[in-house]
Amino acid sequence: MTDLRLGILFSTSGDYGVLGRDCRDGAMIAIEELRGACSIAIEPVFGDPRGSSERYIELARKMLLEDGCRHVIGTVTSQARKDVIPVIEKHDSLLWYVCPYEGFEANPNVIYTGACPNQHLLPLFEHMLPVYGRRVYLTGANYIWGWEMNRLAREIVAEAGGAIVGERCLPIGDTDVDRIVAEVVARRPDFILSNMLGPSNHAFLRAMRDLGQRDPAFRPEHCPVVSCDLTECELPEIGFGAADGQLAAASYFDSLDSIANRALKVQVASQFGSGRRVSSYFATSYATVRLCVEAVARCGADDPIKVRSALGGPETPGPLGPLRIDPATNHASLPFLLGRISGADFVILQSRPAVAADPYLIRRRTAAQPGKAQPNLRVVS
Amino acid sequence: MRETLSFLGRRAIILHRPGDTTDRLVRQCALLGLRAEARWRPLTAAEDIDIVLVDADEGWDGLLPWTVAEKLIPLVALLASEAPGRIAWALDQGADALIAKPVTASAVYPALVMATRRHSEARRLNERIRRLEERVRLRPLVHAAVLSLMTADGCDENDAYGRLRREAMQTRLTLEQVAASLLAGPRRQAG
Repeated sequence: MTDLRLGILFSTSGDYGVLGRDCRDGAMIAIEELRGACSIAIEPVFGDPRGSSERYIELARKMLLEDGCRHVIGTVTSQARKDVIPVIEKHDSLLWYVCPYEGFEANPNVIYTGACPNQHLLPLFEHMLPVYGRRVYLTGANYIWGWEMNRLAREIVAEAGGAIVGERCLPIGDTDVDRIVAEVVARRPDFILSNMLGPSNHAFLRAMRDLGQRDPAFRPEHCPVVSCDLTECELPEIGFGAADGQLAAASYFDSLDSIANRALKVQVASQFGSGRRVSSYFATSYATVRLCVEAVARCGADDPIKVRSALGGPETPGPLGPLRIDPATNHASLPFLLGRISGADFVILQSRPAVAADPYLIRRRTAAQPGKAQPNLRVVS
Repeated sequence: MRETLSFLGRRAIILHRPGDTTDRLVRQCALLGLRAEARWRPLTAAEDIDIVLVDADEGWDGLLPWTVAEKLIPLVALLASEAPGRIAWALDQGADALIAKPVTASAVYPALVMATRRHSEARRLNERIRRLEERVRLRPLVHAAVLSLMTADGCDENDAYGRLRREAMQTRLTLEQVAASLLAGPRRQAG
């Protein structure tokens, strides 16, 4: 029997602990399900870095050096992923990253199953700009996710002939959103992109609800807040109903009607109770552990290079649909769903089939601006 | 805001002994839409390429077909050594950016963007310096034209200079060109 020690490295406490808990729980459910059902003896090694860079690095090193892990499922923020990657590279291991992120990365030692911008932000804006208008307000967390997503949004809006009417970032954990709300009131955008994280975002969404009650022009049907990382797991923290009508892009929603999702939800309900919703963090982590274990089983060993090559094997249907990893980019093909918050759930307004990840957005440019390539500088004789 | 640079459809040459380093570089380049080819022989001036990555540890003079002043495309140096001689060699070839060896995946895109931007910035500045040098060289003409206007019209230096400037703006010529044609004018009449 092949032995697989699997590092599960998520911040399950701290400012974005709720996301980490969903990632961890998704991994746990997959491990429970696979125990006894396959030829692999899976031994999870859990670590909670509590949102600290130093702890992320320390725990990753411990998993690889002391606990015998060669695969780590983990990190929530891009900052944490970038902190952990050098440790992973040094020990020739694989990091399995399950969260949506801002792209512009394709490390041979990372398998990316979270969506990148051509799978979330681009299709989201293709929908938003014609329907709501081209005057956009940008908010974000003051770190790489917020900065890069806002930068990309700025480029997309400029190419569409629209305008960014304001932009403001808050440090992770900061809930002082009054200034942002005042700017929104003064500048009257057609919609707002929020790349804030956790408590900042919750405070902002509650403040937007209050604003909508005072002035109907700012209700979600006229001026929605959209994001690429807001999921079911945060709705209880915001307060049910407070964010109703706001929109989010994801590669999975709990409300998705498929055989694989119904099966997962039955399992989640038996483990965590019927009130528990499955978020894309949960479902992606679940599907990723399965993907990893199946590849290890095909190899008969946990050798990271062999496992990576074995990812191109037969696809197993899961809650995200069949998870295909592109060997060129190490990224998963993922579907796009647009959801509208309603109580504890997202009503799916639009869905598009899985598309390959384009982490450096090279295909967007071919489609969007055929004649506008950078001038080539050539060697001339 | 600087536009996010795309390398789609461009061609790179990696002048380095083929192996792990070049495999890694070719992979990352391909992800950027940049077609990269690795080889270990000199580049010729006639080759149609957009960016060069060169091994600065083992590179020799003559591997690249240019001097720093003539360099027409961005250049990235690949360097493991800390030897001052090798750093100097990279600088002498006109390296716009550096990728340290062993190559990590995340080092490639930043270096390519940096090299491309630095290279075009250097070209822009060189062109500007060339134009300014030309104007400095012709400065005595402007002085002569001002003196000639002062003598002919009995105006002061400021007025004479102002007239030259207005003429340059209206005709969309440089001050030096206007000065040259003014000085040539009377001579043509005289001849």
